[in-house]
Amino acid sequence: MDFVPHDDKTITEMLKVIGINNLEELFQDIPKDLIINRLNLPLGLSEPDVLKNVKKLSQKNRVYSNSFLGAGYYFHYIPSLVDFVISRTEFYTSYTPYQAEASQGYLQAMYEYQSIISRLTQMDVANASMYDGSTALAEAAIMATLITRKNRLLLLEGIHPEYSEVVKTYCWGQGINLKIIAENKLIDELNQDIAAVLFQSPNFFGDIEDVLMLAKKVKEKAPNCLLIQCMTDPTCLGVLKPPGETNVDIFVAEGQSFGISPSFGGPGLGIFAAKKKYLRKMPGRLVGKTKEINGEREGFLLTLQAREQHIRREKASSNICSNQALCSLSALIYLISLGKTGLREIASQNFQKANYVKNKLTEIPGYEILNKKPTYNEFIVKCPDVDALTHECKQLDLLPPLRLSKYFPNLKNIALVCVTEMNSRESIEKFINAAKNVLHNKKEGKK
Amino acid sequence: MDNNDSLIFEKGVGRAQKNFIPKMDVDGEKLEDILPKNLLRDVLPIPDVPEVEIVRHYVKLSTINYGVDSGIYPLGSCTMKYNPKINEIVVRLNEFSQIHPLQDENEGSLELLYNISIMLSEITGMDGFTLQPAAGAHGELVGMLIIKKYFETKGIIKDKIIVPDSAHGTNPASAKMAGFSIIELQSNEYGEISLDHLEFAMQQGDVAGIMLTNPNTLGVFDRQIKDITKIVHKHDGLCYYDGANLNPMLGICRPRDMGFDIVHLNLHKTFSTPHGGGGPGSGPVGVINELISFLPKPYIISTDDSIVCEQNNDKSIGRIKAFWGNFGVILRAYTYILSLGADGLKRVGQIAVLNANYLKCLLQKKYELPYNRRCQHEFVLSDKNLPNDITTEDVAKRILDYGYYSPTIYFPLIVNGAIMIEPTETESKHSLDKFVEAMLKIFDEALNKPELLKTAPHNTPIGRLDAVIAARKPVLHD
Repeated sequence: MDFVPHDDKTITEMLKVIGINNLEELFQDIPKDLIINRLNLPLGLSEPDVLKNVKKLSQKNRVYSNSFLGAGYYFHYIPSLVDFVISRTEFYTSYTPYQAEASQGYLQAMYEYQSIISRLTQMDVANASMYDGSTALAEAAIMATLITRKNRLLLLEGIHPEYSEVVKTYCWGQGINLKIIAENKLIDELNQDIAAVLFQSPNFFGDIEDVLMLAKKVKEKAPNCLLIQCMTDPTCLGVLKPPGETNVDIFVAEGQSFGISPSFGGPGLGIFAAKKKYLRKMPGRLVGKTKEINGEREGFLLTLQAREQHIRREKASSNICSNQALCSLSALIYLISLGKTGLREIASQNFQKANYVKNKLTEIPGYEILNKKPTYNEFIVKCPDVDALTHECKQLDLLPPLRLSKYFPNLKNIALVCVTEMNSRESIEKFINAAKNVLHNKKEGKK
Repeated sequence: MDNNDSLIFEKGVGRAQKNFIPKMDVDGEKLEDILPKNLLRDVLPIPDVPEVEIVRHYVKLSTINYGVDSGIYPLGSCTMKYNPKINEIVVRLNEFSQIHPLQDENEGSLELLYNISIMLSEITGMDGFTLQPAAGAHGELVGMLIIKKYFETKGIIKDKIIVPDSAHGTNPASAKMAGFSIIELQSNEYGEISLDHLEFAMQQGDVAGIMLTNPNTLGVFDRQIKDITKIVHKHDGLCYYDGANLNPMLGICRPRDMGFDIVHLNLHKTFSTPHGGGGPGSGPVGVINELISFLPKPYIISTDDSIVCEQNNDKSIGRIKAFWGNFGVILRAYTYILSLGADGLKRVGQIAVLNANYLKCLLQKKYELPYNRRCQHEFVLSDKNLPNDITTEDVAKRILDYGYYSPTIYFPLIVNGAIMIEPTETESKHSLDKFVEAMLKIFDEALNKPELLKTAPHNTPIGRLDAVIAARKPVLHD
């Protein structure tokens, strides 16, 4: 099938208007030897056949009844109205709203998104979105070097390992000096030449940092050094002190938890917010409120575009053009659907359920919680046999937790467990049984 | 319609909304007992809004927003084609949408990524693809980093990239993000690259390569493309193809055959995935054999019995995004390619060019066409003929009054008051004719009733907005 509306008669009429005889003449500027005969691809399929084909492929994936896996992407409940709103074709088939007067609907929604992120994070300004959490962090790092005109960054262990790698790649591209250090080395490494300290909280292993204390330490030793916080599951902001109240300069997060299905890791949403004084160095699109030239009504448009590549070209603060607009719309609808009551309750449930699982695991011999700080919905646990735990989980139709050895080959038999509001008591009991079965099977094996 | 509507934040009510909170069915400890008080937040200024109010608010907003499903969307260089609805069905299949990026038993997703990389290789002639980049500009950055790493590995210092003055703004910005400085090359009178200028620039010895789009942003095919890539290669440079304008080339000719070494594609342009109001996109990057080892991690390969990631590759530029890329977007593009097949894709190329030339012939009767040549997917008018001090912006705003979206304006920079028009293959002749009718009428209005344009738009939910105040005193949230 294709989506071309013309019949042959129409094509002939149009060719006549152009003054040529056939479609081939349209390509007369292309050297003859570059024209190909046909692509080596199958012929097109009808809609039912395409559906059959793609469905067959999808069957090779496995959907579990419940999950204990997080590590950067999370299973949270998505209110039905999220998909309803983003499926309005006036939204999803539109382009970047360059013509403001014909795009007021989306522009207002983007303005509301920026507003709700500001309210949630208590940061001064949020942009209209970045690609994802990892690239948002990399862009924040670059932005810090532009603001401070310094070329060295410190990145604290505990940032999602894939995020660290992305930051590393971006920094290599621009010749920025990046050092990854343990938190207890921070004070030793800090000095006036550091542009920014990058950290994650709750971190990859689940620890919630005392950000206010961290900010104090950093600013005392290096007053001009920026503090950049990243977060992979910002639902915790329903109860945790927001970055705007802990002296964070730039805040970035992966917004997938806000109403976006996992979809094998993308598209997600890069949340990006900063203190107001850094506004003009910020990457990405911004929507502003203004008035009519010849009237009094308020409206919305893309603003401060002089920061962006289509105006500034190589002098732009970033090369970003497309963003994740539709995903930011999902996040907006998610956050407003939950409201303050829902956001607090969801965050509380994540805390409480994860803590419940922590306590239950501690009761099983051989399991030891390794976090020394408070945690949100993820924690790390030393297991008797993490591969066996993985196997047991799968048997019980549970998506197993992450084995840390995936990213840290030396950290054997440690699992990063994620528990959200989606984990019912029943699934939690199954998981605890899986953990117990490992022990039981080990004993059996020994006999 | 009145746009002067309140923001969602003003629609809250006193009653707590708890519709989306699952039952708390374990004995939870009090938060205050788990967490120190100094970590907890006080205020959370997000209102509780009843579901019905939320739905009405956003349905209303959607009605004052224009999409491809509303009508012709002739934004040049943006390829605003119809977004097939089946794409939206397949991404919502549970076995795709509910798959975690770090889980095992992901064979369906990996196979799909592998399959589409083979298809894109065939379409472009390249040897290997990464599907990681989240958008076109992200793909450009990856391409530039590959060039950087390639020369670094060889121990050669080349720190400049050639970008023609007609290039998309992302090109120079991306090259700079990879640490290159930019040599801007002036286009010649035909809108093409001047071979002499190119030769001269390359002779300096420190040029790593060139970024080109072909057809270029004037919509014309550079007839000397083979000579261009030959010159760059002769001086040990690499050729990068900005695939933003690939649509008219589908099934007609391939970037690799033109001599390109690296190409990025915009799945959200050429392969029908919706633009979503500015994203998400997807910007896969394809390379020739010699550059495959530089692609970002993870790189998906096929072995005898399965599809896996190649892990150990020290030449790779590294990771450029967490996980696997914008899978949901890639899945839509895959569905599109399966639907169209070899025959359908060729038809896309042909009809995209037919539609553009048809429009061009009818509009150049009144509007100035500075580069009067056969165009490919798009063409660019200038403001030269506009009477009574009417500007390109005035025309663009007046088009909105006729119920259509406006073309891209003031780009490319090499045309004064550019009006850049790309109809795409999915517009019917009837739709094109109606658009021409409006455009010609607007030209007459410019002659006879210029005030009508100066104060346009009149029929939109809101009048022309003040961008100057918006930038001077930014109000970015409520």
